[in-house]
Amino acid sequence: MLRAPASLRGVDPARYVVYLGFLLVLGGFAVALRNDGFLSAANLLNIVQGATPVTVMSVGTVFVLTAGEIDLSIGSVVAVAALVGAIVLRGAPWWAAAAAALLAGGGIGLVNGALVAYLRLPSFLVTLATMGLLAGVARWLTDLRSVPITDDIFNGLFGSGALFGVPSLVLWTIATVVAGHFALRETKFGAHVLALGDSAAAARAAGIRVRRLRMQVLALSGATAALAGVLYAGRLNGARYSLGETDLLTVIAAVIVGGTRLSGGTGSVPGALVGALLMEMLNNGLILMGLAVSEQMMVRGVIILVAVALTLRERRV
Amino acid sequence: MKATFFAATALALTLAAPAFAQTRGPGGEAPTPTTDLKLDADEIAKLKGEHATAALLWHTSSDFVNAVTAGATDTFATLGMKVVAETDAGFDPAKQQSDIATVLAKKPNAILALPLDPVTSAAAFRPAVAAGVKIVLLSNVPAGFTYGKDYVAIVTDDLFAMGSHAADAMATAIGGKGHIGYIFHDAAYYVTNQRDQSFKKTIETKYPDIKIVESQGITAPDQGEKVAQAMLLKHPDLDGIYVTWAEPAEGVLSALRQAGNRHVKIVTLDLSEPLALDMVKGGNVAAIVADQAYALGAGMATAAGYGVLGKAAPPFLVAPVLTVTKANVEQGYQQSLHRAAPDSVVKALKGG
Amino acid sequence: MTAPALSLAHVRRVFGGVVALADLSLDIAAGEIVALVGDNGAGKSTLVKIIAGVLPPSGGRILLDGTEATMTSPADAQARGIQVVHQDLALADSQPVYMNLFLGRELTKGPLRRLDRRRMIAETERLVQALDVRIPSARAAIRDLSGGQRQGVAIARATHWASRVVLMDEPTAALGVAERERVERIIAGLRARSLAVLLISHSLDQVFRLADRICVLRRGVQIGVRRAAETTPNEIVGMITGAA
Repeated sequence: MLRAPASLRGVDPARYVVYLGFLLVLGGFAVALRNDGFLSAANLLNIVQGATPVTVMSVGTVFVLTAGEIDLSIGSVVAVAALVGAIVLRGAPWWAAAAAALLAGGGIGLVNGALVAYLRLPSFLVTLATMGLLAGVARWLTDLRSVPITDDIFNGLFGSGALFGVPSLVLWTIATVVAGHFALRETKFGAHVLALGDSAAAARAAGIRVRRLRMQVLALSGATAALAGVLYAGRLNGARYSLGETDLLTVIAAVIVGGTRLSGGTGSVPGALVGALLMEMLNNGLILMGLAVSEQMMVRGVIILVAVALTLRERRV
Repeated sequence: MKATFFAATALALTLAAPAFAQTRGPGGEAPTPTTDLKLDADEIAKLKGEHATAALLWHTSSDFVNAVTAGATDTFATLGMKVVAETDAGFDPAKQQSDIATVLAKKPNAILALPLDPVTSAAAFRPAVAAGVKIVLLSNVPAGFTYGKDYVAIVTDDLFAMGSHAADAMATAIGGKGHIGYIFHDAAYYVTNQRDQSFKKTIETKYPDIKIVESQGITAPDQGEKVAQAMLLKHPDLDGIYVTWAEPAEGVLSALRQAGNRHVKIVTLDLSEPLALDMVKGGNVAAIVADQAYALGAGMATAAGYGVLGKAAPPFLVAPVLTVTKANVEQGYQQSLHRAAPDSVVKALKGG
Repeated sequence: MTAPALSLAHVRRVFGGVVALADLSLDIAAGEIVALVGDNGAGKSTLVKIIAGVLPPSGGRILLDGTEATMTSPADAQARGIQVVHQDLALADSQPVYMNLFLGRELTKGPLRRLDRRRMIAETERLVQALDVRIPSARAAIRDLSGGQRQGVAIARATHWASRVVLMDEPTAALGVAERERVERIIAGLRARSLAVLLISHSLDQVFRLADRICVLRRGVQIGVRRAAETTPNEIVGMITGAA
């Protein structure tokens, strides 16, 4: 085995596969699409902004997977939170709408967490059930109708606005990733999440309140999914029941490719960011290459497979 | 179903109380058949000189989308236009928004698109309008978009004609008189509602000797079989059954077969292999009414050509409708989906 | 004379109608190692669970440094200076040694309460050196360590947080000869740290190498306590089996 430099000792080399893969794909597209505006600032910004909701959801999912749980309901939470925000916005200011959406998402996560922690049900089954239930709630809330959002502050803050020339979606990406990375690497909370996913028995023996921690992690996941919903609503100037429906697998792929282990104990927020950007860059680049939709799907599948294979292979010593 | 089902769904949200006699546009415009669009030799020559490009922004992948894409791509080729990107939003308006942003990096002259949802697609399509792209819409209009300024034309299925063609086909199949059952989609769903109502109205006004003796709504395709069984019990003298779309019609067919009933004629909408097979074998299925997706795509491409040339296109275009029977099933598949009829159907045609 | 670090007086535990532990009395002084021996089902695990706060006793008293203590949870027992080295180690495999050592009691710094990794690493290194636990680095992940090294980390953690009592449940069961000797040396070194150690072991050789006194249980009954220096393996075996 290669001896890692002292500063990296104890750090998983697989963590870095995603960065390499990202650079390779970026370089590949830059060459293949050199005349098609792929590297234009506008297009690179497209990629970051397009990836923002998935990135935000990925941050919550890193914590859930690291803790050894899974949250399948995030896609449905996106729609419910977006609709809640849009409905509240009809009669309340933007901040109340955003707060209501986040509370809805966090509350749903808390319920998921309570079912997992106190009824000792597997999170896979609990969130599988709430995923379906919430998809129904999203349809029922407005009877399948889309809700327009005309509040300029809301749409600017969570969608197309900018601060000092930096688009607000980019700022949300940075804020969530920095906060998530800090929480996972630099706080007791993060250390406990890592230990919990590694060995629940060890965490319990160390006096960590395991049940409360599971609830917190799932509540966090619900809250980040709700933030993603708010960002979708801001970007689209409206909310709709189908928002986020297809995001679950993209999020899980981004997080896993980013070096978080599906079985818990290891997680990386920056990795998830790069994973999410990689997913969006694949969408973007393959469309720009002028491939038919079926070809896009096949190529994307192969690249993700290669990325996952590299990430997971390295990890088994 | 599947394909066309969504193609026109959200029109419901944009159409102002459609008049019944024919399919109407969002501003109440009278329909123009897509086949009426014409570019003369000079215009085509001029268009070819532009080396224009187009992007196709679809809502999903399906038989229907493939046929529209084929029609559009073939027509663009004759106009010297190149398709530079194609996307599938998977019914996700947010994905469609990022698809648009992506495609704009290629600076296409024209976009053909099915906006997923009028409300949320307005913000999504604005950047394309701002970039001066000529937009031809399929079925849906983003909220607040105006003809001529924001988009070139809207193209859609002729839902009214589909229903009335089904009524005509039913009349032909049962000899102009008799008792029929009417299985409609019992849900607020624009596409099926328009087609069902048009069928019913046409029977009632045009064919006084045909009586709808039983009306039954379904909310899911798997209910077709049970509903048909009940109908046959109540009305043993039934001559025909109209079914709102192909999937439940397959259930109706199964009910008839179980009952050993070879008399009742089925008329339904949208091509399906099991139904086409029964039809060519001389079974219960008499006719399948279908839209012409390939022609629809061709019409969209031509309209895009109008847009690039700066020539005004009619605001509201409808695709031709086709009644497929045993006699024309092979051309039917070609015309509707731009592909050969399924092998099983072709084999049955030759064999019988 | 000071009170023993841990004093058990007439402790009993009943499950339903079954007596798992009947009337056990045992004192362990600070700096003393007492071995608990007995066949499977003799009541050793029950006693460990009672001292660790996992099970409440059905009767009797537990005194810590002469003061009666009622422990309602493992966290409660830990707060009173009792630590357990479990048979299954209870370490988080992917985490580095120092995070395992401080798990649940991480050191933080600054207003944001950031983890103080530098201090945790420094303290870990000091501790493993003092206990002579030879690991490659405080930053090494547990899964990269040998069985003996892991056991060493588990003992180091227990000694670091225990102010009174360390319970050791079969600490060398899964180890080879060389590693076992190393771990035994670490355990013997705990005497110098003034901790009361209760050692559970199936190996009489080990018990005689390490323990000051030996407490024998059979089917929940305390058969007797002997000074290791004043007894023989034969006597102990006889007490365990009831053949004497």
